[in-house]
Amino acid sequence: MIKSFEDIPGVEWVPGTGEFIKVNSDLCSGCGNCVKVCLGSCYIVKGKKAVIQTLERCMECGACWYVCENEAISFSWPNGGTGFKTQWG
Amino acid sequence: MENIEKKIEMECDVVVVGAGFGGAAAAKKCADAGLKTIMIERSEKVGEKIISGLTIPFHGFLFGPDFIRDGNPPIERPVDGIINYIIKDIEKNDIDIDDSLRVPKPFSPIFSVGYNAFCKAFCEWEVQQAIESGVELRTKTTVVDVIRDNGHIRGVITENNEQIWSKIVINAEGSHGLLAIKAGVREKYPPDTISLADVYVYDMDKKDIDRIFGFSLKFCWGWDEQKIAPPLGHGNGLMVWPYSDSLHLMQDQCLRKDDGPVYNLAGALRGYHEKITTNLPWWRDEIAPKVRLRARMWDGFEIFVGLDKRLRNMPNFTDGMLLIGDAAGLENTELCDGVPTAWFSAEIAADVAIEAISHNDTSASFLKRYDDRIKAHPIIQWAITSTNRYNLRYAQKEHDEKKLKKYIHDGWGLGFCKHGSSALMKITLSFIKKDPKVIGKWIRMYLRYYYHWHHRHYENIQASDGTQKKQKGIKLKSYLRLMDWLLWITSPLIRLLAGLLEPLSGAANPVMKLIFPIIAPMYLWFIKKWDMAFDPLSKQLVQAVVTSDPSIFDV
Repeated sequence: MIKSFEDIPGVEWVPGTGEFIKVNSDLCSGCGNCVKVCLGSCYIVKGKKAVIQTLERCMECGACWYVCENEAISFSWPNGGTGFKTQWG
Repeated sequence: MENIEKKIEMECDVVVVGAGFGGAAAAKKCADAGLKTIMIERSEKVGEKIISGLTIPFHGFLFGPDFIRDGNPPIERPVDGIINYIIKDIEKNDIDIDDSLRVPKPFSPIFSVGYNAFCKAFCEWEVQQAIESGVELRTKTTVVDVIRDNGHIRGVITENNEQIWSKIVINAEGSHGLLAIKAGVREKYPPDTISLADVYVYDMDKKDIDRIFGFSLKFCWGWDEQKIAPPLGHGNGLMVWPYSDSLHLMQDQCLRKDDGPVYNLAGALRGYHEKITTNLPWWRDEIAPKVRLRARMWDGFEIFVGLDKRLRNMPNFTDGMLLIGDAAGLENTELCDGVPTAWFSAEIAADVAIEAISHNDTSASFLKRYDDRIKAHPIIQWAITSTNRYNLRYAQKEHDEKKLKKYIHDGWGLGFCKHGSSALMKITLSFIKKDPKVIGKWIRMYLRYYYHWHHRHYENIQASDGTQKKQKGIKLKSYLRLMDWLLWITSPLIRLLAGLLEPLSGAANPVMKLIFPIIAPMYLWFIKKWDMAFDPLSKQLVQAVVTSDPSIFDV
């Protein structure tokens, strides 16, 4: 089911993305950089490790991937036709 | 993926990855040359994943693909200048204005410095032109890897493990460059080079936009403590683009500065947006009561890649693959815009792909000519190496108002001509030298764009006043005929002059720097008088354009 969020109007999320962003907890230092730059609030730090709460608010900007100090975050594109979409970009 | 078993599911001459501004232009040119071209796009509909509010600068249209210059793309509003608000103290309303970059009347608003556009609509239009040229478009398809054959890229692999073999791959996937990294061509950029752009789209009535913005962009710049700019000291406040019936507001900030810590951008951008919309006088008083939030979105852009010599010189080609636009790190460092460079590199890549295929040689040694041409392109190199936006951090760090104003003036004011004149002169003269009649095409482009923009967005106004098709005053048709005749007669002379002046274009920047302190104040003083004097003529020109038969603007 396509989702939308009240605080992010004009954008819809199509399910079926797959795990296109992953955190390798063995490499994660728990620095929280990913939490700081994610405008979609997709991350939390739990037990000194970054955890992806949801990818349903991810706009595939790559910010978390860029700021990860230990290369613990892997980033790829979601499956074709899935993930966020907007008419207004 | 190295030396995989060849199972040909699809074979073509050229695969273009990404149906954005650059991808569509490259694909169309390849198809026009008779190459079997497949363009692959991961979104369901073209443009659904492109995020930006933007002005596409005039040089993209003048010196980019012919089909765009001579066509009728969907634009949202011509731009005749920038009003820079330099905010020293928001509480005391201590704000200076630099609005020195504007097109004088009677040229404004028809002869613009750029056009605001929705990326989605524009890319859809471009892709449609590409399809009409024979490009096969595949949407809802994510490319996950390249096919390698003894190190040579021979095509791409999709998420469904489908192999699409091609003689050459043009990688137009955008900023993050995942496929280029996978292909071993480039590496992930450091966070210092990436700007996170937070974009808000507001509904606003056309008449209010006309009255408050006209055709001007509004940019705000300020000290960190004003909390209208994110606090890492890049001095980036916000940029507001007026569209037809909406405003695009963008705040952006680099993910990290000078190897420092990563700042809490999520919190900061939220807080600053709140402050901008409630405390910034012109937004609070004039805009806020009249707008409704339509959309919010964000993306990361590789804005400062071009300023780092090592990153700038990372390969943009390999055996069997060419990288274009943002995928090649060609974002404009000052305008936060990559469209013109995407178009220029797309055309160069398509030319090189056509040459490579006709020579049956897609090796890196043959494709190096692509890199040579990118490096020789005056606008591309100027766009990716301009430093004013980057240098704002030093003004901020030293709290130096003089520096802040200088960088703003040189980046988004009249001062741009001190560093942009050589590039613009060189490319302008090279086009004129090739064919002086291009001047007529440029003029018709401006007139056609304005005509179609006006009628697309002001149909009701035209219908109600009944002026459409009843031309009064200036008879453009006669003037355009006269222009064509003069260009035809004087072509040899113009060509000769352009050829003589072109080698001197390198001197334009130093000369401008030398005479700027004298001519800039004079120009700004005179322009105020001119604008008043020529305002009636500007209105007459607009009326003449919008009431003309649009076929006179065709080329």
